[in-house]
Amino acid sequence: MAGADKAIAAGAMPLTGWWQRKRTRDLMLVVCFLLPSLTIFFLYRVLPLAWNGLLSLQYWSPLKPARWAGLDHYEEMLLYDDVFWQALTNTLIFIAVSPLAIALALGIALLVNGNLKGAAIYRSIVFLSYPLMTVAVGVIWRWMYDERGGIINFALRESGLIGKPIPFLQSFEWALPSVIAAEIWQVLGFYMIIILTGLQSIPPHLYEAASIDGAPRWAQFGRITLPLLRPSLFLCAVVGILNSFTSFDLVYIMTNGGPGHATELLITYIYKSGFGQTKFDYAAALTVVQFMLLLALTYLANLLAGGNAGALQRR
Amino acid sequence: MISRRTLLKSGASAVATSLAAPAIAQASRKISFLTWNIIDQETMIRGWIARFCKDRPGVEVEWLDKKGPEIPVFYQTQLVAGTPPDVINTQGALGLEYAAQGALLDLTPRLKAEAAVATRFNADYLSNWAYEGSNYMLPFYITKTLLFFNKPMLEKAGLSGPPQSFDQLLEAAQKMTSGEASGFLTLNFDWLYWPLYAMNGVELLSKDLSKPTFNTATAMAITDRLAKATEAGAINKISWTGRWVEPNGAFAAGNVGMLHAHSPAYFFVKGQGKWVSPETLGVAHAPGGFATPNSHGLGISKASKNPDLAWDFLKFVTNEGAQELGVNRKLVTGNIAVDTANLSALEKNDPLVYSILKTQLEHTDKMVGNWRLGNDSKIKEAFWPELQNALLGRKDAKAALADAERKVTRELKRA
Repeated sequence: MAGADKAIAAGAMPLTGWWQRKRTRDLMLVVCFLLPSLTIFFLYRVLPLAWNGLLSLQYWSPLKPARWAGLDHYEEMLLYDDVFWQALTNTLIFIAVSPLAIALALGIALLVNGNLKGAAIYRSIVFLSYPLMTVAVGVIWRWMYDERGGIINFALRESGLIGKPIPFLQSFEWALPSVIAAEIWQVLGFYMIIILTGLQSIPPHLYEAASIDGAPRWAQFGRITLPLLRPSLFLCAVVGILNSFTSFDLVYIMTNGGPGHATELLITYIYKSGFGQTKFDYAAALTVVQFMLLLALTYLANLLAGGNAGALQRR
Repeated sequence: MISRRTLLKSGASAVATSLAAPAIAQASRKISFLTWNIIDQETMIRGWIARFCKDRPGVEVEWLDKKGPEIPVFYQTQLVAGTPPDVINTQGALGLEYAAQGALLDLTPRLKAEAAVATRFNADYLSNWAYEGSNYMLPFYITKTLLFFNKPMLEKAGLSGPPQSFDQLLEAAQKMTSGEASGFLTLNFDWLYWPLYAMNGVELLSKDLSKPTFNTATAMAITDRLAKATEAGAINKISWTGRWVEPNGAFAAGNVGMLHAHSPAYFFVKGQGKWVSPETLGVAHAPGGFATPNSHGLGISKASKNPDLAWDFLKFVTNEGAQELGVNRKLVTGNIAVDTANLSALEKNDPLVYSILKTQLEHTDKMVGNWRLGNDSKIKEAFWPELQNALLGRKDAKAALADAERKVTRELKRA
């Protein structure tokens, strides 16, 4: 074979069949390498997505034959389903809170990046929340928020800030902020580490030069730190968006979407519609909307990052 | 070297053997039994299975237990896969939803053929799982709501006994309210609060279950009064926001006058409330004797490969098994003979539990909130959040009930 290849390359042998062309065989080799991954991607991503799209256009339940529904589920969702709008709003609030968490993490990262005594210990303490299982985080915070025995109510009452305990997770007003606080607490450590890595990769001579030029600290932060932290902050933002869409476990453990639907997210509503009410078809339509939203946000994030996130760098 | 013919033959025989294996497995007659969060009763259930299989050579029973929130997910995925458990235990109206989907076997012909089996059970509880005239489940263990009350708080408020009407209930709640103490709490899931409306003559749906009938002046007035009592603290807010742990925990803390809950709440309250004793905890029916059932039933999956064996197992568990279950867990099973014997023993050994369980067998003709709907969870989801808005003062009663009516009507039409 090697001899034949050399002969073809040297132009001694004519290129007859398509299979004998080097380009075709190279292509086949690439396909062979990609095939296992592509098969898995197709079976576990493309096929379910397509099936889900089809399901959203049908009336379907496990033991009954499917019937064509057209856009009925979408009409129901957009025109009549208040819970959908509530869940969508809550999901968007979850997303909108990401910058707040990133800003907090940036503040902490700046603190522990300095010459603070015991910075390594503080770093570890802040990061400790991230490797914890989300279910454990949910259970811990649920107890902390407890109206009767929770440490937060105890502290607030002991300090005289409140007279009566606040039912944080049972209150329509407090439930969502309470869950968001727990979410921020968990992800803060991760953001901090990412930002800290970014901070430590900024060459110190840039600050030295700026200092010599007489630039104040805030100008150094605005002109050097923030621009050079852009990749780290972008990564945090993407992770934040994804976390907002997948915060199922935390909400499920802490409030199960309640009280009412005060903490309902799209993801919890999809689960409840499918498995709680056997509306798999409707849940599929909700999933399509969530997917489209995620797609739009990813596109937006990509645009903000310069429009070439994930592209190959060609030399 | 193996010839192509030999290789093909070997391959074909291997395929034939693997295909025959399930057939052999089926011949051994195996059924599976899915229970709802009673893993603590493992010894008892394994004992049932051993006794059941002993008289039936070649029979095997596989037992699975799942927690409450996991059961619907597990069962529905098994339905889709075509391998649902043969015998399934469900709570509340879930059995009716499965029946409506066509997942459960209609037990009516078997109950007609074996009248002795049907007459074992309290007829009102047995009819809880009747959907469109057919019965799909047998009672496994039964519960309905009742009124627990804190006797010292009642006495301190100058009340001589539990309330006998809705007006008295709100009045008593108000009298017992002071500082952090509130007068009344109710569980709210699975329509457990519905007796509050039923005792005032409010019906959720028309008799044929085709349209809502709750949007009336009376319902508005009741909702308004409940909301005002909640705002005033006479009704604890957890009534409309909590589920199981929070309301029962609040009552167990000892500063709530009355708890409207189903009988299993007693064991939670007793576990957490040091104050609970026959001298301090009172038990009564809700005014008018109205109560919402929330019982556990046993049914057979329509896809069962051994429905006769599953039926035998069902009869065994709800009879021989029921005796042991009633004693172990201090509950009533709906099996008249078993409950009579167990209650008689409890009357001497544990008078408080006896008084609680006795209520479960009284006024069974006044069970409400158990509409035979095939889409109960959807109706609940359409109705409850709106009512909750009104009860918590987020919407006025008129607007909330109108919105609830619109949503329930739509859900009924979509069914």
